[in-house]
Amino acid sequence: MLETYSDAIHFADESLSQDILPLCKDTASPEPDRSRRKILVVDDQKLIADTIVQIFQDAGFEAVAAYDGWSALEIAGRLRPDLLLSDVLMPQMNGVQLAIAMRRNHPETKIVLFTGQAGISEILLEGKEKGYEFELLPKPIHPLKLIERIKEQL
Amino acid sequence: MESTSPVQPKSAFGNNARSSPSASERPGTEPDAIDARFHLAAIVESSDDPIISKDLSDSITSWNNAATRVFGYEPEEIIGQSILRLIPPELRHEEDRNFETLQTGQRIEHFETARLRKNGERFPVSVTISPIKNAEGRIVGSSRIVRDISNRLKSDESQFRLAAIVDSADDAIVSKDLNGIVKTWNLAASRIFGYTAEEMVGQSILKLIPDNLNYEEDEILRKLRAGERIDHYETTRRRKNGELFDVSVTISPIRDESGRVIGASKIARDISQRKQFELLLIQSEKIAATGRMAAAVAHEINNPLESLINLIFLARQDSPEGSKAHKLLLTAEEELERVSHIARQTLGYYRETGTPAEVFLHDLIENVLTVYNSKIISNSISVAANFNDLQKITVSKGELLQVFSNVIANAIDAMNTGGTLDISTRNFVGPSGPGIQIVISDTGIGIQAEHLPRVFEPFFTTKGNMGTGLGLWVTRQLLESRGGQISIASNSSKKNSGTVVTIFVPFARPQPNMSAEQKNG
Repeated sequence: MLETYSDAIHFADESLSQDILPLCKDTASPEPDRSRRKILVVDDQKLIADTIVQIFQDAGFEAVAAYDGWSALEIAGRLRPDLLLSDVLMPQMNGVQLAIAMRRNHPETKIVLFTGQAGISEILLEGKEKGYEFELLPKPIHPLKLIERIKEQL
Repeated sequence: MESTSPVQPKSAFGNNARSSPSASERPGTEPDAIDARFHLAAIVESSDDPIISKDLSDSITSWNNAATRVFGYEPEEIIGQSILRLIPPELRHEEDRNFETLQTGQRIEHFETARLRKNGERFPVSVTISPIKNAEGRIVGSSRIVRDISNRLKSDESQFRLAAIVDSADDAIVSKDLNGIVKTWNLAASRIFGYTAEEMVGQSILKLIPDNLNYEEDEILRKLRAGERIDHYETTRRRKNGELFDVSVTISPIRDESGRVIGASKIARDISQRKQFELLLIQSEKIAATGRMAAAVAHEINNPLESLINLIFLARQDSPEGSKAHKLLLTAEEELERVSHIARQTLGYYRETGTPAEVFLHDLIENVLTVYNSKIISNSISVAANFNDLQKITVSKGELLQVFSNVIANAIDAMNTGGTLDISTRNFVGPSGPGIQIVISDTGIGIQAEHLPRVFEPFFTTKGNMGTGLGLWVTRQLLESRGGQISIASNSSKKNSGTVVTIFVPFARPQPNMSAEQKNG
């Protein structure tokens, strides 16, 4: 059901969303595995980072927020996250630069980027030129869908 | 030559007078006759036009000052010579004809012909010839007044040229007097306003001015009397058929020799077409701006939307199931999802991954059909698929998914009470080269003829509140940025309604410098 819902959320026409949205009623169930996965959430918008952390925690993950690339790297050194979820467009260090740094320092960490802007191709190209390719999610994204995509990565 | 007066006129009246017996044989009348003669001589001398007389043998018998000036001969060299010396050879026969006319006692007036000056130069003249009769009334010769009309012809010529210029102009050129009465009306004016020259000359110019703009005429006349010009003044005028249209008018005063303003010349350019183009330009600018603005707005709101979605979700998780708060938050979540949907659509951003991949288009279509399966069943729609795209094509999966989703969703919406959804794909060679053609047709209610040209317009929808009006617009943007095309045909008549959407995607990706912005702003 979630599968159908998630695909529909991608490109359902507004006339159909009335049928499909009621599926939102599903609530996230906690991860059943023993070791809780650790997720580092980075966004210069504090509200976004904090709400996503809360959502991940409710879903059974261990989640920590950072609001810029430097502190993210610092926290990652201590936390050793399983996954990094980072906004792309941030001042000083953007998400791609952070991701490349994470790859170098913590190659085992999965990386997912997300952004509200389409014109990030140049930034992604920067990563591509260095041989990196990252999973990209659109903003805004429904929490359930976000969780699902993250689970796919882990 | 004997003379009884100290004043000797330079030109002689010739032998005719002296050979006439009466004059010299009446000593009693001599002083009066002589006075009269000199009076006449003076008149002839003071004439601006050449006056020449000849006898019956065509010998010139008198030659005045003006004749000397115009022809170049002095009297002594021409008197006694044949008048034919002054006439171009091919015109000499005219003299005979003239003589016949004179025989009947008639004058010949303003006869236009040509003469020769002493230097051989030919020039146009207007000649008035009168017979000279003796006392018995017998014609003994003729006298002619020769007017050099070369200047008049020149000015006629330039007048004709000016008239031709005015008539060949594209703009209406109209002249009027200070009472607003039309004096001249050129061809373009007839074409533009619809009135012929006969219909307008002598009429008031107010005939062309819409009633609510009549005050303009007073204002114009006031300025003209002050000697001012009116340049490229944009206003509205009225054609013969009543149609109002936009013009650009330039009005200049017409002055007489003393510089007094006696009327006005008006050049009116029909700018209705230009205005139409301007409107279209503004419209397309608006649409382009809408695109740009939408992108900017969407980008600005995506972050707050993300926060909102998260906050409401968390709040809903926290509220007891079945509680009022829970229900309200659920509704809020749904509304928010709708807003997000619009934001995602207007952004034109839709990528799961950053790079395009090689896919079979029919796989993407199957994907979409699966998603809409429940709706297809509930609407009693039967699906016929004919997939003949035998080649993979490099596309952005997310973008093409959105394209097919928009089109198929429209088809499903058009068939509320059942119908057939026909989808076919095949290899095809389009104008930009080989690629894949997809045809999606339905037997739904169709799109009305007056709506059809507008379906790709942003914010145009036939779905009332349910539609954002952005689906097809975004679809076309996505396709065109990939170098593809989309076209829609539809029939909304009750019997045979349905819509056919044809999509083409070329194999070759467009060059990097051909951005979506360049194509559609």
